[in-house]
Amino acid sequence: MSPMLTPQPDWNSLSDEAFRQAAAQFFDLHVPRHLCHLNRRPRWSEVRDWYLTMSEHGWLVPGWPVEHGGMGLSQSKILVYMEELERCGAPRVMDQGLMNLGPVLIARGTEAQRKKFLPKILSGEHTWCQGYSEPGAGSDLASLRTEAVIEGDEFVINGQKIWTSVAFDATHMFALVRTDKTVKKQAGISFVMIDLRQPGVTVRPIRNIAGHEELCEVFLDNVRTPAENLVGGLNEGWNVAKALLGFERVWSGSPRQSTIALLRLSQLARANGKFSDPSFVDKFTQVTMDVLDSAAAYERFAQIIRTGGSFGFEVSMLKIWATETCQRVTELMVEAAGDLGMLAGEVVIGDEAMDILYPFLECRAFTIYGGSSQVQRNILAKNVLQLPS
Amino acid sequence: MSAALSAQARLDDERATQLILLRNSAAEFVRRNKDFKGYRKRREQLPGYDTTHLHQMAEMGWFGLLVPEAQGGLGLGLDELAVIVQELGKGLLAEPLVASTVLAGRALARAPRSTLRDQLLTGLANASSLPALAWQEDSGALEPMAMSTTATLSERGVLLRGTKRLVVGAAGASGFLVSARTEAELGLYWVAANTSGLSMSFEWRADGTPVGRLELESVFVPPECVVSEPGVATLSNLEHAIDEAAILVSAEMLGVMEAALQIALSYMRTRVQFGKPIGSFQALQHKTTDLYVQQELSRAVLAEAVTVLRDRSDAVERALIVSRCKSRCSDAGLRVTREVIQLHGAIGFTDEYDVGLFLKRALVLSAWLGNASAHRRRFAALSPGILGVQA
Repeated sequence: MSPMLTPQPDWNSLSDEAFRQAAAQFFDLHVPRHLCHLNRRPRWSEVRDWYLTMSEHGWLVPGWPVEHGGMGLSQSKILVYMEELERCGAPRVMDQGLMNLGPVLIARGTEAQRKKFLPKILSGEHTWCQGYSEPGAGSDLASLRTEAVIEGDEFVINGQKIWTSVAFDATHMFALVRTDKTVKKQAGISFVMIDLRQPGVTVRPIRNIAGHEELCEVFLDNVRTPAENLVGGLNEGWNVAKALLGFERVWSGSPRQSTIALLRLSQLARANGKFSDPSFVDKFTQVTMDVLDSAAAYERFAQIIRTGGSFGFEVSMLKIWATETCQRVTELMVEAAGDLGMLAGEVVIGDEAMDILYPFLECRAFTIYGGSSQVQRNILAKNVLQLPS
Repeated sequence: MSAALSAQARLDDERATQLILLRNSAAEFVRRNKDFKGYRKRREQLPGYDTTHLHQMAEMGWFGLLVPEAQGGLGLGLDELAVIVQELGKGLLAEPLVASTVLAGRALARAPRSTLRDQLLTGLANASSLPALAWQEDSGALEPMAMSTTATLSERGVLLRGTKRLVVGAAGASGFLVSARTEAELGLYWVAANTSGLSMSFEWRADGTPVGRLELESVFVPPECVVSEPGVATLSNLEHAIDEAAILVSAEMLGVMEAALQIALSYMRTRVQFGKPIGSFQALQHKTTDLYVQQELSRAVLAEAVTVLRDRSDAVERALIVSRCKSRCSDAGLRVTREVIQLHGAIGFTDEYDVGLFLKRALVLSAWLGNASAHRRRFAALSPGILGVQA
């Protein structure tokens, strides 16, 4: 990769507020404006330059240690980084390597794996996707059946992954695969890295309910990966994957999506005069409070992160509330549009042009991925409320 | 910078420790005094609480917690009182703390200094005499000006005429802070309980506690008993006190819903139907987690509200967060206690079983000082993004 243009300051010595300013300044200066606030996930070819710009300036990976080319930020500054990135509407890049694989290799990988893979993530040479879900293993992920068999110094992999985001732009996949069928299902899973640029790999995009192609099916037919691409030991995959959940569990419950949805809703209500309809105002006030209280709950967990504390399964309440609130906001948006709520795509309302149905359709996924609302409720019932099974 | 940071951190630490100590002592008070049998006996009896509890609370310093140190109080803040009231709520033991120390106490503390004011605050701090705020009338509206009691100047003082209603803490009160209007302005007047021309009757709330109804027939108020002269400052001080009380009512509601949910959870772990504990059924588990989510949202918005009221002085900002807090806690408290009855089945419907007591307290707390929809209306009216944009 190209060398960084500037020596990196010790970000953690700044106050959160000073760091927020630095982050806002960097993002505002460099972000590609034409790709901000997109109603779809951009292709790698569109965002590659932005990815490389962040990389060259040392702003690509907030969470990795400095020695591996990250910013080495504390959890609280990572939160600030994410909030500022979100605020400027930056397009989403290929981030599975940055957010998920990198931390796994740093925590559980070998020195050789780190040396081989981390620099290529930073340079954009390798782009990663996450191969977890399968047609028969959704909420019950541990029942996955894609199988890896050792042959000499290689794994030979057969099976099918599904709901794999942007696999068509990925050069590599990290995947959970079955390496032992004779033990309890969680105990026979391994975490392996697979080069997708080989025969036997078929990627097929799936058009989603909003008309976009972001999710994929990935077929693995006698696909090979060197045994050294196993991470964290044979049959250790379930533990490796679980260790990834932490910060993500808070972030997935952040109020950012419902806040954006609420802004869109008030834009619509200003455009079509719904703010003079008392029944709408009452519903609008209710969802506004729901969003603000979602932020208040999020802030309590963010505060725990900031002060270096830890939390347990109670964090599941964040995602349930944030995502279901977001859905209610978008449902109210469709309702507030009245008869115009049947129109697809950009709709002219008053002086505005906006897509009424896209937010509604998009956020159907929020309560499904990353542990569905119902799985989150199972987690709360068992681990927090200590109800019997 | 680091010196300032560590000073702030030390302050935060001390405050956190203080809050834990207060929470523990309130929890201990509940452990010793929780007695639902006695609670049932006190229903529809005056004064609506156990006076020995009142004296113990006074000894703990809770009645003087918010009272300025100069008047014999501890001069602490809402965050400290909120943790106590939340814990007391778990044992249905908070009466009459909020009505006396927040509603009446804060209205008094913000009034101009006078001999009477200082005396009343001192009496409140040691609970030897409790003031009650008489501000609402037949409409029960949240706006202090929605009343018709009049204050007319007479030769030697002021004459009050009108009817006050929903006076919480009236039964044990030594006297009343009565709001009355002179033309378009609101003043506050002290009327001792035995004043001639004042007569009092009671209405009973859902939980069997009383609220007073005061008839004021030309009640004479001498100049030294004018607590706060008619004017905008008096009105805004009163609104401030009502907002603070709404936060404390929310804190009590949080305690009420926490206790009710805990009762339901232990029942669900032990009650067996279809050969299994009913807590193992997913339909009931998911219903219960939704109650938990509401409880945690209430906790989060209450924490934010207490912080905003401590650190910020803007009245609109204050009213917005108070309305959010009271709205959430009112809805959540009612929903939790209502659904807890359902989770129990028939036993929850009996007067003998305790969860009904929590539902009735929740009915009181959700309605008192503005229910959820009243606070949503106020929030909307004050939000620049909502109705303000139409103006």
